[in-house]
Amino acid sequence: MRIWLIGIAVLGAAVATLLLLSLPQNTAYAIDQKDCLRCHGVADLTMRTSSGAEISLYVNKTGLDVSAHRYVDCTSCHTTKPHEVPTPLTKLSLAARCGTCHQYEYKLHLQSVHGQQLLQGNQDVATCVDCHSPQVNPHSIVRVLEVNAPAYKKNISQTCGRCHDNPRLMSRYGILEKVYESYMRSFHGKATKLSQSSDISQLDKATCTNCHGTHDIQNPADPNAPVAGLENLARTCEQCHPGAGVNFADSFLGHKEATPENFPVVHYAERFFTFLTASVVALGVSLVLVETGKWAISRRPKGK
Amino acid sequence: MGDQQAPERQVDMAATAQVQARPAADQQEYVVRFDIHQRLQHILMMSSFLVLAFTGLPLKFSDSAVSQWWIGLWGGVESTRFAHRIAAFVMVGDCLYHILYLAYTTAVLKRPFPFQMLPSPLDLRSLLQDIRFYVGLTKTRAQYARFNYREKFDYWAIFWGMPVMAGSGFILMYPVLASQYLPNWAIPTALVAHSDEAVLAVGWIFVVHIFFAHLAPSVFPMNKSIFTGKVPRQRYMEEHSLEFAQAVETSEEQEMPEPPSETPPPQATADSPKQSGAPEVSQK
Repeated sequence: MRIWLIGIAVLGAAVATLLLLSLPQNTAYAIDQKDCLRCHGVADLTMRTSSGAEISLYVNKTGLDVSAHRYVDCTSCHTTKPHEVPTPLTKLSLAARCGTCHQYEYKLHLQSVHGQQLLQGNQDVATCVDCHSPQVNPHSIVRVLEVNAPAYKKNISQTCGRCHDNPRLMSRYGILEKVYESYMRSFHGKATKLSQSSDISQLDKATCTNCHGTHDIQNPADPNAPVAGLENLARTCEQCHPGAGVNFADSFLGHKEATPENFPVVHYAERFFTFLTASVVALGVSLVLVETGKWAISRRPKGK
Repeated sequence: MGDQQAPERQVDMAATAQVQARPAADQQEYVVRFDIHQRLQHILMMSSFLVLAFTGLPLKFSDSAVSQWWIGLWGGVESTRFAHRIAAFVMVGDCLYHILYLAYTTAVLKRPFPFQMLPSPLDLRSLLQDIRFYVGLTKTRAQYARFNYREKFDYWAIFWGMPVMAGSGFILMYPVLASQYLPNWAIPTALVAHSDEAVLAVGWIFVVHIFFAHLAPSVFPMNKSIFTGKVPRQRYMEEHSLEFAQAVETSEEQEMPEPPSETPPPQATADSPKQSGAPEVSQK
């Protein structure tokens, strides 16, 4: 009798487990009240603009389903008459779309060095999607506190690096400093790199935006920039380093390498220590090698 | 080398006041090379060095996946930084201990200053002799006194490295404070010095020191003398033959009994004050 009860219990547990496992894993679906994705969810949907260029009209549903705006219907951004909206969008008109809800950020963005260039029609500069979507796509915006967000603290330097680590793009604007590399060499960069992504409390180290700002980012040469001049820079340092003064800020190499002109002492210290380390370690290695070699020879059978 | 048999001539060392030989249970005789302070200093140096290396290197090589995994194991850079600083204070304390020990033994206990640790022309001659041996120009190795040139290099490398590491480390630990008194290049230079000198130290220790203290055929798998303070007599005779010969010579000059066949005289202990005119051997 009892064995039957146990058998039924085990069977029931197995069925329940299978049922649970068979439930859909990803039940979040983006809102699509007008069924736009019936056409726009097809990968090869394209159109020809008035200028003759072929542009894609495809919206990746997978990305849309997990995006921050999955519960915002298409028509909220695309208007109720989306087919009458002039296409293609520009970076500026795209930012303006975001700005209809995110007004404060949009306003700051337009005052920033990126936004100012945007207003002049420059398509190089970063706007909303460049920093908030891993695919640089308005349909897959990821919220800042998600670990895969480009604007998640740990990922910010790589996100800025997408443009600022591109020497050809940067040289067009006279930015010669290898900002990404020098950041990653710095204590801030190393500490950020070694912090655990999943633990936001570990991500209290400075990254690009802590010194340069976010939506209101300024040209470092702009007198109002938080990094312009030692006075401003020192105030920025003080946000994390209490008591840091002008002297402290003056220790910063300015995202540059140490050269005979820029921080010569640092430059020659690098040369000296590289030489010292290389020669001493080489000496040690050769000492060990000859000692081992001598020993190996001494172990050789005498008859040869 | 390093064989366990006790040679017949072994007792002549025991006659000297400088090198103590004690018959062990297995009849192996040992020479006391390090006193308890020196052994403790080495243990503190070794343990703090290992902690410093393993919590510091991941910062230097932050790009490597191993570093990220290792720091993750610790739970983040805050933990490794804390351990790094604790170990740094231990190491600095250990060096002060060594200096005080030197001062106390020479100034208060009136032991002779350990001149045999200073670089000397003999080191150059030994090095040249060893090079000739390595390249096959001669069949005999150099004979070493109490400290050979590698041991002296290890020792003086710490004398150079400690001020560099402790000084730069302190600047990096308190950059705001340092910037109030030092020129603007001090912090970036400290970073360069600290990280490069660390690689130098780690490279030397993990290649040369590990080889000669663990992997070399005469000591494999481990030279325990820095922990026990004792070296097997036979090996001591081979590795520090000059000191050995000198000690024997001195014992003859002092008209100590000719190779006696008993145990050492009572004054021949590691803790007894040295006799004047005694050579540099024994405790320093």
